[in-house]
Amino acid sequence: MSVHQSTVRALAVACAALVVAGCTSATEAGSSGDGEPGKDTTTVGFIMVGPKDDFGYNQAVYEGSQAVEAAFPDLEVLTAENVPEDDTAATTMQQMIDEGAELIFATSYGHLDAALSVAEENPDVVVVQQGNTITDDIPENSGTYFGTVYEPMYLAGIAAGTATESDKLGYVYAFPIPQTIANINAFERGAQSVNPDVETITVSTSSWCDPGKQQAAAESLLDEGVDVLTQHQDCTSTVIQAAEKSGAMTVGYHADASEIAPEGWLTGAVWDWGPVYTDIVQTVVDGDFVGSAYNDNFRVGYKTGTNPFVLAPYGPGVSEETITAIETAQEWLGTEEGSPFAGPVLDQDGEVRVEEGGVPTYADNDVMDYFVQGVIGNLAQ
Amino acid sequence: MTAVVADPEAEQTPAPLLSRALPVVMRWVGTLAVALVVFSVLLLLKGASPVTAYTGIWESTFLRSRSLQEIVVQMTPLVLGALAVAVPARAGLTNVGGEGQIIMGGVGACGAFLFVGETAAPGLLLVAMLVSAMVAGAVWAGIAAAMRLVAGVNEAISTLLLNFVALDVLLFLIYQPWRESPVGQPATVELVDAAKLPFVAATRINVGIVLALVLAVVVYLALSRTRWGYKISVAGGNAEAARRAGLNVRLLVLSALMIGGALAGIAGMIQFAGVEYKLRPSFGYQLGYTSFLACWLARHQPFPILVAAFVFAALSVSGDSLQLDAGVPAASIHVLTAFILIAVLGFTASRRKAAA
Amino acid sequence: MSLVVDVLSGGVSGGTSIMYAGVGETVSERAGVINLGTEGSMLVGALGAYAAGVETGNPWIGVLAGATAGGALALVHGYLVVRRGASQFASGLSLLFLALGLTSLFGAPYVGQPVVGFDTWEVPLLSDLPVLGPVLFQHDPLLYLGYLVVPLVWVVLFKTRVGLLGRTAGERADSLTVHGYSVHAIRIGAVTAGGVLAGMGGAHLATAYANAWFENMVAGRGFIAVALVIFATWSPWRVLGGAYLFGCAIALGPALQARAFEINQFLLDAVPFVLTLAVLTILGKRTLSASPAELKRVFENAPPSG
Repeated sequence: MSVHQSTVRALAVACAALVVAGCTSATEAGSSGDGEPGKDTTTVGFIMVGPKDDFGYNQAVYEGSQAVEAAFPDLEVLTAENVPEDDTAATTMQQMIDEGAELIFATSYGHLDAALSVAEENPDVVVVQQGNTITDDIPENSGTYFGTVYEPMYLAGIAAGTATESDKLGYVYAFPIPQTIANINAFERGAQSVNPDVETITVSTSSWCDPGKQQAAAESLLDEGVDVLTQHQDCTSTVIQAAEKSGAMTVGYHADASEIAPEGWLTGAVWDWGPVYTDIVQTVVDGDFVGSAYNDNFRVGYKTGTNPFVLAPYGPGVSEETITAIETAQEWLGTEEGSPFAGPVLDQDGEVRVEEGGVPTYADNDVMDYFVQGVIGNLAQ
Repeated sequence: MTAVVADPEAEQTPAPLLSRALPVVMRWVGTLAVALVVFSVLLLLKGASPVTAYTGIWESTFLRSRSLQEIVVQMTPLVLGALAVAVPARAGLTNVGGEGQIIMGGVGACGAFLFVGETAAPGLLLVAMLVSAMVAGAVWAGIAAAMRLVAGVNEAISTLLLNFVALDVLLFLIYQPWRESPVGQPATVELVDAAKLPFVAATRINVGIVLALVLAVVVYLALSRTRWGYKISVAGGNAEAARRAGLNVRLLVLSALMIGGALAGIAGMIQFAGVEYKLRPSFGYQLGYTSFLACWLARHQPFPILVAAFVFAALSVSGDSLQLDAGVPAASIHVLTAFILIAVLGFTASRRKAAA
Repeated sequence: MSLVVDVLSGGVSGGTSIMYAGVGETVSERAGVINLGTEGSMLVGALGAYAAGVETGNPWIGVLAGATAGGALALVHGYLVVRRGASQFASGLSLLFLALGLTSLFGAPYVGQPVVGFDTWEVPLLSDLPVLGPVLFQHDPLLYLGYLVVPLVWVVLFKTRVGLLGRTAGERADSLTVHGYSVHAIRIGAVTAGGVLAGMGGAHLATAYANAWFENMVAGRGFIAVALVIFATWSPWRVLGGAYLFGCAIALGPALQARAFEINQFLLDAVPFVLTLAVLTILGKRTLSASPAELKRVFENAPPSG
């Protein structure tokens, strides 16, 4: 009963609000920062661009948030799915703050604008963003974090380059963001390291998850003679099944999907966000966020030891020999001179991008804006 | 149940009105209550508690100043989008093209910004963006009007089709010529501060709401107090009779639809310069269709449109609460929106039409 | 494979869901009711088929469930507009929102779940034909069923008594009343049949084409279907051609990308709509005169007869 009364009252309040909106003072606008944003927070929020059970990127985020919940039983963990990459994201984050969150993980590349505006409005709240890069000054209560996805993609490229018979690999991707470009390039270079003739053909879907477009992209690639398919999409099952049905092989992304591709599964890059998330939460709760590694564009990879991206189990088509080659390459990536982009690196036009002997840093790879030689496809579109 | 709910409402109603208004109020409250009950059943089916859901919505949507401000921000384009349906409707025209006209408004505003953003004086820049948005929206609706006048193509069809063309125009622009950078997600460059709509007092509400309220009054006066308003309603009622009476029906059709388009264009400009600051692929998504429904809910009357737009904006804001408090997907709120619409569309209208 | 074959084949497989929905909308509009909720019927059809497919492991039961769900949603539309006199546009859009909400509420458990979908079944002999083989005969059974649906609907609409009643409900409803038929029942039946077909279109999208369920995965295909019916001036055969044309426009983008052409997908995407608008303008009043008379009344905001 009270519910219905509230609804009627809601309408009345609503009309009143219209009138007084102009005079409402911003009572909740945060006080000035105390230098320890998010300290002793009781609530943590995660926003995801897609559904939390997408068998992909967002599911990995959700599982990471569950790891946080397990590690901090007293913390309340809020999750919001299907949060678009526009100003709506700011509204959702603000709602979480109103529910007590003083630490928010904005987990999609396109959430950065909204994350920064929320951070600016709420100096006492830490907002960290997953995967993008803050190019201006980094605010005291914000930062980005990510793994070096392209390292395991390089290793997966070795498996793909060995397995292909047509020397054509297919890559379905969403947008030409630096992260994706680095993945595609690393995949191609991993393949080239064992098979110099191999090409990677790219098709973009302009969407993180649109199964209809993914199917069309996969069909076009298969029609072009591609026999290994991989992708950078948030939801992955459509492309994997398209490959499996036509007898092509699959390199997975985000999650181990060998179950839906028992024949063609090679390997893949799989997330394990738990440790990174837990460490960020601990840092914030302790009041140590400002000046920490996370108050920056934090990147972690094989060189630093705790890459949240790990290699998925191998499928039946991967030989012992290949596995040994991959393990050797992984060790090499962890050394000073190891990198998927260890020079010389030529771009599609044959221009030298990394000199012989050069080893780009993680930060360099974060702003990659060219395809390497051997990648088929256009960046400018 | 409905009687109890209706009480507080009834007490506020002046006595002479009571006898006339009570059945109407009862019917409305009754249908809304049914909508809430059906939605509760669905929530129960999903294992969520309706009590938690409704109290969560109530507390986080209506008791927080920030949420109320957010509702006002979100209702602004809906008010204008609904007025863009109401004006042509008075002339007997169905404008299903709000979606496209709002997008073109954003595109027009962005174009003006990119074109004169560097040179224009700050105040002038906003005016240029506003005018450009109005023109873009009006032209987009004008295409449909011209097709009707020249070739007799029905405007409901053409405005609907033009929505898709407008979306493709938007995507084309932000993927290529207007793209901020060839790498990264597609979007236009962010507006400079001088091109952003100012906020009302110390709130997060942009001044767009003021414009929307003023325009609601203007539309009301134009429709009910001017010769033009009278003429378009005559033309809308019976075009043949209007023609015989010497009215220029073609001009009236053109003006009604283009004014509608201009209003939608303003909605696009406000969403762009007051909220988003960048054009992204999802710009204006579903604003036009939601506005269309808001206008129907308000039976095409300017002042009720304000209430309908508020309700839809509040429902949209409650989606977050539904997800955070009750643990069901945010988009589930569409179910409640739809039930309310179905209840109102189907069960509060007079039966005259159905019987006809 | 050549670009042409690739695009045509992609157009047929990608256009099939649009074709089902378009043919369904043709039936509905022939009886005088436009249904913007077609997008919604496709959505509930997609989820219904996917969920039933996951639960039973039989894709045909999935199709049945998708068709039922699509029909049920359209039935509500039919009831609202025919019996309650609701605005056709407003009711259709309301049901779209209902479908968005319902599928989001009940679809979450099925996201990312593998389904036993339809496999490719190459038609013996025919699939070996050059060009025609890969374009038409190397697909899934639900797509082949689509080849039968168009002639079937055409026969029913134009060669049977039921079809005559339906079309009369769309043309001269008052004459039905005179002969003692219920215009309301006939219209509601036609709208529901349209929803059943749209639901099958959704089923094809989820369980035969993309093999996945995701929130809002229909992504505008239902609206394209409504536009298509007008483009096709209410002929099932032209709907078939138009659906494949739309499908080809969608398939052309990735096909060109895979061959390293620089393209802007969105110019391609706009082509079918611009084409429709151009055709409407050229045909002019003739289009409207081709439209069912009762539908014309809807467009002109006149109360329905009968």
